[in-house]
Amino acid sequence: MRKRLPLKISISGVRGVTGDSLTPQLSASFAQAFGSYLGRGKVIVGQDTRASGTMIKNAIFSGLLSVGCQPVNIDICPIPSILIFTKEKKAVGGIAVTASHNPKDWNGLKFINAKGLFLNHPQIEEFLDIYHQGDFSLVTVDHYRSLVSEKNPTNIHLNKLLNYLDVDLIRRKKFKVVADCCNGAGTVLMPQFLKNLGCQMTLINTTLDGAFAHHPEPLPENLNRLINMVKEKKADIGFVQDADADRLSIINEKGEPIGEELSLALAVKYILNKKPGAVVTNLSTTQAIDDISGEINVPVFRTKIGEINVVEEIINKKAVIGGEGNGGVILPEIHPCRDSFTAMGLILEYMASSGKSVSQLRQGIPKYYMIKDKIDATSDQAHHIIRELKKQYSGKEQISTLDGLKINFSQAWIHIRPSNTEPIIRLVAEAKNRKMVENLVESFKKEILEVMEWK
Amino acid sequence: MKLLKIGISGVRGIVGETITPHLVMDFASAFGTYCNSQKVLLARDTRLSGPMLHTAAISALLATGCDVLDLGICPAPVLQYMVKKLKAKGAISISAGHNDSNWNALTFINQHGTYLTEYQGEEILDLYHLGKFKKVASGNLGKIKPQKDYLDTYFKSLSQFLDTESIRKANFKIIIDPCNGGGAGIVDLFCQYLNCELIPVNNEQSGYFPHDPEPRPRNAKEVASIIQITEANVGFLLSSDVSRVSIVSEDGETLSEEYTFPLVADYYLKKKPGTVITNHCTSRMIEDAADCYNCHIVKTKVGQSYSVQSLVDEGAVMAGEGSGGVAIREFQPAFDGFLTMGIILEMMAVSNKKISKIAQQLPRYHIVKEKIYCPPVKAHSVVGEVKRLYPPQEVKVLDGIKVEKKDGWIHIRASATEPMIRIISESTSKEKAQERLEKVSNYISQQV
Repeated sequence: MRKRLPLKISISGVRGVTGDSLTPQLSASFAQAFGSYLGRGKVIVGQDTRASGTMIKNAIFSGLLSVGCQPVNIDICPIPSILIFTKEKKAVGGIAVTASHNPKDWNGLKFINAKGLFLNHPQIEEFLDIYHQGDFSLVTVDHYRSLVSEKNPTNIHLNKLLNYLDVDLIRRKKFKVVADCCNGAGTVLMPQFLKNLGCQMTLINTTLDGAFAHHPEPLPENLNRLINMVKEKKADIGFVQDADADRLSIINEKGEPIGEELSLALAVKYILNKKPGAVVTNLSTTQAIDDISGEINVPVFRTKIGEINVVEEIINKKAVIGGEGNGGVILPEIHPCRDSFTAMGLILEYMASSGKSVSQLRQGIPKYYMIKDKIDATSDQAHHIIRELKKQYSGKEQISTLDGLKINFSQAWIHIRPSNTEPIIRLVAEAKNRKMVENLVESFKKEILEVMEWK
Repeated sequence: MKLLKIGISGVRGIVGETITPHLVMDFASAFGTYCNSQKVLLARDTRLSGPMLHTAAISALLATGCDVLDLGICPAPVLQYMVKKLKAKGAISISAGHNDSNWNALTFINQHGTYLTEYQGEEILDLYHLGKFKKVASGNLGKIKPQKDYLDTYFKSLSQFLDTESIRKANFKIIIDPCNGGGAGIVDLFCQYLNCELIPVNNEQSGYFPHDPEPRPRNAKEVASIIQITEANVGFLLSSDVSRVSIVSEDGETLSEEYTFPLVADYYLKKKPGTVITNHCTSRMIEDAADCYNCHIVKTKVGQSYSVQSLVDEGAVMAGEGSGGVAIREFQPAFDGFLTMGIILEMMAVSNKKISKIAQQLPRYHIVKEKIYCPPVKAHSVVGEVKRLYPPQEVKVLDGIKVEKKDGWIHIRASATEPMIRIISESTSKEKAQERLEKVSNYISQQV
């Protein structure tokens, strides 16, 4: 089986491996292409805590300077803070040096436009054309700008959060909170954020050396230390962020992970109570979102996988909230981006206003069982599988072909799609009970392997 | 024609044309590969393009696993001095020295604080051309280590080397024009150590060069115009990397940069006689000075890398060039503008003579220089053609063409740093020097 290639250039930007594909030269080329695409102006550059961040960031500075841009170094900073800062400081764009939940040897560049949003499809295509053509707008010394740094770049983000939230209400509850920053970028804002909300906090994994304390994906299997700490401190809630602090998962007051799908479900439930309106999420996110929205008759719009797809649909449909089942909550009133701080604020406010514990609030969310699985498949195998399954099920079941194939059965659904970062097919399935979802996934895996054999 | 000069001492060119992030990264990656995950020092002058080269070099060095000891804006001689102090494997100096502000350059320094030897330089070029650079995994990447206090370390050491007591007692008032380059702001500290009152000219770290950062009379107008009014004892011009110095005397005379080396030699060889290194196109003044103290002269190709290497290999006491660069081995094997100014102040203090009087003691030659634009691809063949002007027995091929006469000499060579052919003519007679220069210059202009 073909391994994952060490470089991926896609809608989400550039991902590569330090010491292999992600060289200073490559990073500088992308920065030059991006600077040429944006035109001369301020470009915000932030990073997560990965050890290769400094190396890549300096290459980016050099590339930006060479095309007449002014890099603004905001150093280690949560992704949502970088996006918000880019917009509020009226920069022409921004670059985030992060590889999100990928292992520590990976790193990447994500490109941000003047509105503080990641580039969308047409924008990324325009920009990649410039990169591939290699026609960068190098400037002469008369047009060189300086390199500047900004202290406290998270302040704008923090103020937006505090303006939005009912701070007094939350403060009165003096919540006991344990938060695991995963030694990631969230570390630079977490203490101030929780302090402003009057929480008694215990923080773990808060060093900035890029040695992630556990796999930087907020999945239950990565959370033992946090779970123990929640129990030991008798905390009201436990939070865990991913390395760039856009995603969140939650531990209840009993020390049980409630599953990262519930971060969005709880936020949607709370927001729709306060302010009914449309909801946007991707095809692989829990059915609970539809149930919650159905209770008050607001529409749910489903999109392809990828944060920017959800964000664009939120803007188009003027949705009140949206997000992804991987723990990414998007509240457009603060900023249309995934933001773990927004998610934490909403959950704490929900607890404060309802007077309920996390496990009680969880009871208000319809219960589903979800399985995420994958099968090795080359790109042409994947193409073949999706095509055959579409033939098989179209007309028989309710399907969506927006992104791979999603089949909605009466009591369950399964979403099958080729990954755009690895040579695998991803399967996500959900049903009302465990047995049903296990059977569903097993039968589809069998069917997929059979289809692969025909070929 | 895009201008790029690659040699054993490094690479220089015009920013935005040939000096790009990639070129800098490829060279820094080659140097980082050579340094093999050891410590590397980094410094730049004030040029506006400095941060672009600086960040590119940092990124490339970190990627090869080298820790970067970052001195920020810092003159080359201080950087070179600190290489040994900090036990680094080498250094990169980002400065185009005397070149115009749209130029920039990387100069590589070895573990002894000198320019690379020919062998080291060839190795870097081989690595560069091969393009296979060392890459380390994220856990082994280098780290940036900003440095402090290095200026004090350097100036303490310099003031121990000089007769600081005599200089301090003299209470000199001096003008320094660092051309807003790498010496800007730092000359203040130099003056503090030597108890001199500083009258600064173009002393901002702005990177805006009010004149070419080349220390020579045509750039000395500002200093010359105020030296008598301010009653300063001496004026100095510095190159942007503080490797070269030219002098303005207290009576307002702008001394040719050719005077700097013989003046220092005439004083220093008396204290410490020994072999002297220079190049083929430096004024005969140095030969006269060396003769006075029965010192032997060894001539090398033009450029700090050649003369300083020879200084070390020959066990010579000093090396220098007509461009105003002087190195004294006992202090450090590097052209050092601070040391040069320090020695001149020391000779003024010890002899209790004005700089104009000291300069008058040197034999007077008339030296004229001209540079003619010539595409680099043609430069060497055009220089070769010049031979035809002279009887074959008079022509010596020494780093170009040299013709020696009883009263003087003329030297024609292709520049190693610019797309120029340089002609230098010296004679006891002003007219002869000029006439010989024009003859060659007219001939070359026709060829180009």
